[in-house]
Amino acid sequence: MDTTSHGRALGLSAAAAIIVAALALGALIVGWAVGDVALDATWAPSWDLRLSFDLDGLALLYGLLAAGVGVLVFTYASAYVPRHLEHQERSRAEEPRLHAAMVMFLVAMVGLAMAKDLIALFVFWDLTAIASWLLIGYDRQNREARLSALMALLVTTITAVLMLIGILMLRAQYGTVQLDELFARARESTTVTVAVTLIAIAALAKSAQVPFHFWLPRAMAAPTPVSAYLHSAAMVAAGVFLLSRIHPLIALDSTLLDGLIVIGLASMAVGGLLALQADGLKRILAYSTISQYGYVVTMLGVGGTAGAGAACFYVLAHALAKSALFMTAGAVGEATGATALSEVGGLARRMPLLAAGSAACVAAIAALPLTIGFFKDELFFAAALEHSTLLAVLAVGGAGLTFAYLARFWAGIFLTEERGTPEPIERRLVWPVALLGVLVVAGGIVVQPFADLASDAAAVTAATPVDLHPAYHLDTRAENLMALGAYATGALLLGGLRVLLGPLRLFARVGRAIGPERVYGLTIRGLNRLSDQLHDIEVRDLRGRVVAVLVPGAILVALGVIFTPFEGAYRAGAINDADIPLFVTLLVCGVGALAVSVQRRHLPLALSLSGLGFALATAYALIGAPDVTLVAVLIETIFTLLFVGVYALLPREVLRREAALRSSRSRRLRDRTIAIITGFVTMLVVWGALSRPIPQEGMAERHSALVDEAHGKDVVTVILADFRGMDTMVEITVVVVAMLAVALVLRGRLRA
Amino acid sequence: MTTVLTRMVARGLLKPTLVVAIALLVKGYADVGDGFAAGLVAALGVLLQYIAFGRERVRRTLPVEHAPALALIGLAVVFAVFAVPVAFGNAPLEHVPAPGVEPVHVGTLELITAVLYDVGIFVLVLGAAITLIDVLVTTRDGQ
Repeated sequence: MDTTSHGRALGLSAAAAIIVAALALGALIVGWAVGDVALDATWAPSWDLRLSFDLDGLALLYGLLAAGVGVLVFTYASAYVPRHLEHQERSRAEEPRLHAAMVMFLVAMVGLAMAKDLIALFVFWDLTAIASWLLIGYDRQNREARLSALMALLVTTITAVLMLIGILMLRAQYGTVQLDELFARARESTTVTVAVTLIAIAALAKSAQVPFHFWLPRAMAAPTPVSAYLHSAAMVAAGVFLLSRIHPLIALDSTLLDGLIVIGLASMAVGGLLALQADGLKRILAYSTISQYGYVVTMLGVGGTAGAGAACFYVLAHALAKSALFMTAGAVGEATGATALSEVGGLARRMPLLAAGSAACVAAIAALPLTIGFFKDELFFAAALEHSTLLAVLAVGGAGLTFAYLARFWAGIFLTEERGTPEPIERRLVWPVALLGVLVVAGGIVVQPFADLASDAAAVTAATPVDLHPAYHLDTRAENLMALGAYATGALLLGGLRVLLGPLRLFARVGRAIGPERVYGLTIRGLNRLSDQLHDIEVRDLRGRVVAVLVPGAILVALGVIFTPFEGAYRAGAINDADIPLFVTLLVCGVGALAVSVQRRHLPLALSLSGLGFALATAYALIGAPDVTLVAVLIETIFTLLFVGVYALLPREVLRREAALRSSRSRRLRDRTIAIITGFVTMLVVWGALSRPIPQEGMAERHSALVDEAHGKDVVTVILADFRGMDTMVEITVVVVAMLAVALVLRGRLRA
Repeated sequence: MTTVLTRMVARGLLKPTLVVAIALLVKGYADVGDGFAAGLVAALGVLLQYIAFGRERVRRTLPVEHAPALALIGLAVVFAVFAVPVAFGNAPLEHVPAPGVEPVHVGTLELITAVLYDVGIFVLVLGAAITLIDVLVTTRDGQ
């Protein structure tokens, strides 16, 4: 096979990504060997926010999958991405972008797996969403890819907001976001049920379960290594990971568990049926992923040691095999140019290693003996049987469906008559598949290490020790019979495929026409239209923008005034002799305001405005606020100078013409009405605020009393730099951001 | 286009303005004024130069091209004062010396980290203001 032609050597960024993944894998293995790796750093003690990480069994399982599959997928990507860019006539300089986002995903996934604090968990959750958006939309010149990336981002982050609400509800109820403390304190209650439901919705959306499944097939617009990573060991796995992580909370309410079973079974069925009729190679695998994670969700719904154990083992076995199948689809595409079943066939002789590796992985997911997959179904059947007979029957049906569509997938590529002649491809596109094939077969022979890994993870989920001992039993126990039943169902489905294909395609069409994807599309379009309309109203002209701020503001404030108790709220105090200077100053302010509203020419307008400002500054000085006065004077000075400077630079002609412009009569009437109403409401609020009795021991007094302690004498400065220093920091960060934004916008306009 | 008088006044005012700004900054913790006000005063002095002499001459005589860097340095100082206490196991933005401990004096100036924080704000405001003024004037010249 050709490994060096076309200059497709291993790129530097690809090598870096592989090394990072390998290091992460090594670190996790060392952490596993050492045991008890945990980190707990407080970062906002007053809110009890901690960065607490713990490498427990569950974290280890998902971390190892993300890093281990990561090493292989990144290696595969190092050969795939240069070819991909070449096909699209893009520069190889774009390669590092993909590897960087992949590494970001890996880091986010490991962080997510180890987080023991729900807020930290939420942050990593959203990080994975952002990384997935970058990855799915990697072909950014392709509209389809951009839309798919946006869909995945919206579905997973909007539901993530629900999750945040759920987390905050739990925090409000139990005063903590630490998982261990929550598990200890939480009791069955409506709040917990609602909060956990919200979190579970986010998890189900991430795992592409019905009715959120539609984003996943669309995400196949991503380059194949991305699909191989996101839809086996990482993004989709994050959903069931979260369910496993908070399982002790879910288990408080049996209705929630039943809900998980229903959603899991529905996803199994929908994903499986759609996979059976699909033609695109990656599409079949995408539907398959929906269906397979449906299994896991079902088992998490069954719960207990059996359910948790089966779920964890299932995730492990599935992730290994599924990533290999995605890579197979990519390798076949690179070798023959085919992307659909109808375009390929008979590749077994031409690509024997790929055929063998993927055969092992197909066998693993279809649960044939001598692969790790056999045990995943054994545990699955045992858990289903323990729950109810109905579930056991449905489980056999689901497994049969899996068997059928995977047999169709593999046989369609590697058997049947030969179509298309494969070109030689890099070894790095093949050996990761072969290695995973060896791994799943090894797991089918020596299963205990894998079972131990899953047991440790399940112990966290079930909150009791779990001990999995899957093995071959050559007898007629129920699990074995169920497996035989599943193979038979699969064979029947395959045999009747010719008849079934018509109804199944109809099912897919109906789903597209009235399914959740359509609802998503309509919602997005409606929201876009609404936003466009509001935007049009707002930015038609400068006045429109001012109105867009003033009118909603005035309405809100007016509502506040109406619903505030009126009696005694508006009082007029007596005016002493000492108040006369202040009174006169405010009078000057009023005159200035009137002058501003009648002035038409630019320079007098600017001067009236600054006169008003200076009069206000004087008023501050009179009521004993020297710091505020100083800043007000400075700001007024700067604005006056800026106005005058700008006017000096503008041609006289333009100024005169602008000043002579008159707006229409109705327009003037509208503007005046808005101005008067807004001004009136503002006055009411200020009056009401000033009428309130001053609290005896307010914040101001407490601050003043502490100034000496803080080595200061000027209370305003001490507040800014010490007491409320964090606010100051955020505010000045905004100043810098605004500066950068203005500079970039204006410079950009200059260049254009 | 500006008169000789304007230019003379502008040139003469620059240094006194900066002195006033420094005074506001240094005395800020004990008297009226703080880093923000000081930054504005200094920016005002520079703005006057722009109005009197135009962008080209200001760029030749004053190092205004470093203003964005100045703003970022200020932000870095503020972040540092915020974050460094965490490295020593204290709360973020915990100022040194602690309440009750007598600070080091240099003349009448007391050395406390809160003043350093204020200095950071001063540098940031000055840098940001000059950057904005410079960009606004550039846009005008370009049209």
